[in-house]
Amino acid sequence: MRNHKYIKFVFCTILFVIISVSCKHKEDEYHSITDKIEAESINYKGTSISSEKYLEGMKMMEVTENEITFLIPTRKDKIKSYKCTECHTQPLVKMQAKDIKKAHWNIKLNHATLNTMNCITCHNDANMDDLKSITGHSIDLNKSYKLCSQCHQKQYKDWTGGAHGKRIESWATPRASMTCVNCHNPHSPSFSPKWPARFNTQKVKERK
Amino acid sequence: MSNNNKKWFTLNLNSKHKQQDSSCGCGKTSEGCSSHTKKEELSNEEFFEAAINASIGDERHKDGFDQVFDVKMDRRSAFKKLTASLLIGAGAVSSCTSVVSSDESKEKAQIDWEEQFKGNYKLMTDEEKEATVNRLVRSYQLRTGKTINMSSKNAEEDVLFGYAFNISKCQGYMDCVSACVKENNQDRNSQMQYIRIHEMKDGKGFNFNEADDNYYHEVPAEGHFYMGTQCFHCDNPPCVEVCPVQATWREKDGLVVVDYDWCVGCRYCMAACPYDGRRFNWSKPEVPEEEINKNQHYLGNRLRKKGVMEKCTFCVQRSRAGKNPACVEACPTGARIFGNLLDPNSTIRWVLENKKVFRLKEDLGTEPKFWYFMD
Repeated sequence: MRNHKYIKFVFCTILFVIISVSCKHKEDEYHSITDKIEAESINYKGTSISSEKYLEGMKMMEVTENEITFLIPTRKDKIKSYKCTECHTQPLVKMQAKDIKKAHWNIKLNHATLNTMNCITCHNDANMDDLKSITGHSIDLNKSYKLCSQCHQKQYKDWTGGAHGKRIESWATPRASMTCVNCHNPHSPSFSPKWPARFNTQKVKERK
Repeated sequence: MSNNNKKWFTLNLNSKHKQQDSSCGCGKTSEGCSSHTKKEELSNEEFFEAAINASIGDERHKDGFDQVFDVKMDRRSAFKKLTASLLIGAGAVSSCTSVVSSDESKEKAQIDWEEQFKGNYKLMTDEEKEATVNRLVRSYQLRTGKTINMSSKNAEEDVLFGYAFNISKCQGYMDCVSACVKENNQDRNSQMQYIRIHEMKDGKGFNFNEADDNYYHEVPAEGHFYMGTQCFHCDNPPCVEVCPVQATWREKDGLVVVDYDWCVGCRYCMAACPYDGRRFNWSKPEVPEEEINKNQHYLGNRLRKKGVMEKCTFCVQRSRAGKNPACVEACPTGARIFGNLLDPNSTIRWVLENKKVFRLKEDLGTEPKFWYFMD
């Protein structure tokens, strides 16, 4: 009888060991990926990978928006005929005279309706080198996103976080993001339809 | 077995009647097989031992090279087993011993020999990884006269790659697909593509049955939205579980990768993947020499061969160097976001924490690291 008990005991112990060992919990340390991300990022110390070497030679400037600091490309040095006042030496009314050569004749405003916007909603006829906010404050051309964000608040918020727009070159820190005008033409901001980059003819054959 | 004229095979583990054990690994019943046991009477234990010996024999005690080289076998099976190796060996020997053949062909044979007997990349030390990469670079140089740059960079500490896809931004331009094919040296003839862009009808939700992933008309089409699928680099990848040779695994930075030289092409992983993330090389992949991307990684876009699996690696050759994957860089709409999930200040983390994100087939528990969201 004692022997019987002993066997029972050993059997139970073995069973317990088998169950506790065989349960597949080695790899699945966390219940879900979100738990894993949360737990493992507590002691995040940063990586040796940096975006700096990819940003070399690009003219960038640091901005802090929504308490998030990142780099954006500068704008003024990429506009061919900046400064504007090099041509705009006299008030606009005088420059629209017939005998002066036409400039910007090809710009068509395709952005909201004329009830909402016209040229001087953004451009300042008193100071052509800067942009102007709705309330008449001056906005530097390098920070043109401030102009866009007046109306496009949601896009602006997503952009500061990184959900709208594009990163430049690298996912690593320091973060460099495109600014509004790098993708959108401010005078005609929507993307035009186009044909897809490719068509898979092989797939058509395979599915016949 | 031959005694009682049975036509089927039985182990007779508990049978009382005497039997002459004539089964062995080589399948012969007569003399000439060294693993043949000649005991007249066997106890159960002895029989069990003999049965194991006959079937797996020395493999129980030996591993690695011993399993291959130090094995007792007859001529026929030896020839059978070593045919592939012999071909390479013959090449190696003939060119190594030959006085006429050049140093180059000797080196090539040496490389082929070492490549044939290298181990699984997953188990290699850093030196071994470097050695195989160097061999591959040299071999390419010997064959084509061109130099490629191949990396064996390991996963970085404190990095876990993740991806987010904005459904409201994607316009179906397929620039990502083109960039991916170019970057990853995919076969041009079969037009293999890792990324699929699905054109879906508004108001029908994610209906893959009715979606079109091979459209060709001006996009975005009226009343449609677009979403892309590719390898989601699951944190609990079913494709890894089913691989019989462990040729695919999840790296520490979350990338699910394939060792193309270890893959046997059984395509179990392809069947196991719930997202159609894997592709198979039915024919020898060919890329025009001038279009080959020479910036390569062993686990990434190096040139593949016929009969192996491949898939999106989040462009391991780029991402581990700090660059965005080719699809992210090519997307003109900014619908693709890539980054380090462990960095609390990364853009991918901002998306996960501030947008309403979801994943495909979340209930499967595969934990894909690829999130979808809308504006």
